[in-house]
Amino acid sequence: MNSPPDTEQTTADEDGFDHLIHAPARLRICAALEPVWEIEFGSLLTMLDISKSALSKHISTLADAGYVTQRRAVRDTRQRVWLRLTDAGRSAYRGHVDALQRIVGGA
Amino acid sequence: METDGSISADEASQALASARSARARATWGGYPAWYWFATGAVLATSPVAVLLPDGWYLALLAVAVVSMAYVARAAGRARGICEGWTRQGMSRREALVLYGPTIVVILANGVASRYAGWLPWLPIVAAILVFVLFAGAGLTLTARVARR
Repeated sequence: MNSPPDTEQTTADEDGFDHLIHAPARLRICAALEPVWEIEFGSLLTMLDISKSALSKHISTLADAGYVTQRRAVRDTRQRVWLRLTDAGRSAYRGHVDALQRIVGGA
Repeated sequence: METDGSISADEASQALASARSARARATWGGYPAWYWFATGAVLATSPVAVLLPDGWYLALLAVAVVSMAYVARAAGRARGICEGWTRQGMSRREALVLYGPTIVVILANGVASRYAGWLPWLPIVAAILVFVLFAGAGLTLTARVARR
């Protein structure tokens, strides 16, 4: 079912369904990051109401796949981490949502 | 029930609902109330501008644009979200609810002030309406997301 391209690894099926993004927390992370430029880690934590360690773990997974980038910036003497969906992540998320809509539409 | 491998239509539907909720939170959540009041106040200057002498209108417009950009940036910092210049998460319907009534009032005021003669109370009523409609719509949309 999976057919990764020659040059890079992919976690998506041919129909766009992405197993890496489909995990509930990761789907919500991508959904929150998709319409904006970047979100601060603490704001995403509050928004999604999950634990700090769980969010860190999911962000690392998404970053390892090249879907999310992290930027550190100091504000008010505190270091903050800003998260952004990469072009690859945005494309994979949209493909995954399209695949979900096709599944719902075909029911 | 049709499935795609291990995913049923029900599961897909739940996943889509969860994604929509997270997207709405990123788009509307966390806005401080002052953002809606400040932006509403800036927009409310538009109908009042017709009371100003010629030439001052453009100066007021420039100040309004800079003020709105400043307020939006400050709200973004308070929310911990940078929306960028082009990416907007709001749906067309939400954009219509937020900006539609305000634009209608501003345009109606412009038409009325051009064709209905000198009615000094009209721009003031329009300004109050613009402020109330915009701030009210913004606060309602933010509160609706917070209740989810």
